[in-house]
Amino acid sequence: MAIYKIQIDNEVRDATAAEAAAIDAQRAEVAAQAEAVEAKAAARQAVFDKLGLTNDEANALFG
Amino acid sequence: MGANAQTSVPLFTAGEVLTAVNQNLSAGTGVPVFATTVTRDAAFGGAGEKVLAEGQLAYIEASNVVQYYDGAAWATVGPSTAGGLTLVSATTIGSAVSSVTVSSAFSSTFDNYRITLNGGVASGNITISLKLGSTATGYFSFGVFGFANSATVNGLNSNNSSSWGACWTGETTNLSGFCDLYSPNLAKTTGISSWRPAHAVGTAQYVFTGFENSTTQHTAFTVSADSGTMTGGTIRVYGYQNS
Repeated sequence: MAIYKIQIDNEVRDATAAEAAAIDAQRAEVAAQAEAVEAKAAARQAVFDKLGLTNDEANALFG
Repeated sequence: MGANAQTSVPLFTAGEVLTAVNQNLSAGTGVPVFATTVTRDAAFGGAGEKVLAEGQLAYIEASNVVQYYDGAAWATVGPSTAGGLTLVSATTIGSAVSSVTVSSAFSSTFDNYRITLNGGVASGNITISLKLGSTATGYFSFGVFGFANSATVNGLNSNNSSSWGACWTGETTNLSGFCDLYSPNLAKTTGISSWRPAHAVGTAQYVFTGFENSTTQHTAFTVSADSGTMTGGTIRVYGYQNS
């Protein structure tokens, strides 16, 4: 498990095991969301490629 | 009534003994502090009290203003009215931390708040999320993001997430952004509007709105790096005046 430093108001300390696990879980969730966004963008681009549209043309048509 | 508030402005007479109480009152209140304008007016001109005259200063707790007496009436020195935004707290971020909790941010004093993050650096290009108190579920939002070198608009949502992601930007040169929170300390769902600027072409610019779907009355929040760490910079919390 990764070692994290956390800050409570003006005090900085190492995260406890439970706190570190919570940070890991949150980071995993954010990473999954980012991957989903990237996958959606890739799918959109694939459609434009199939239609033979440049990015500028696609933006003009679909925003 | 606060510790500095007084109910009279004493006037000494020749030969009168100056007591410790007299001296402490004088030393503790360079400008006399009154709870309200009513107690201010009652503090002058009575038996053993100073006669009100031009140039007299007073601080009024109820309205948080400093006033002077012009010989006929009281006028406000400033602020003319209490400010629209009041600084609640300023927290300096330590070195290489993953998260920062501000524990006494929200109270019944204000309904709505602004949280700003600026200065400092991140260990890389990261997003920084926001969580209220110990609530770790029920965060919803919708927004858009894009890059300065493209007009393409991308959508982004969170549907019952464990935090509001991408509230702020973390770059190797800056931490920046602000969000407004609506009713975090009221027994209502908390709303959010977030603006997250980027300082490089390759870093995404975000705007989103959303809510946290509980009626928990929050007092604290946590700012978390979604990857890497944050160093330096300041988290400031401001309260919007209710009136």
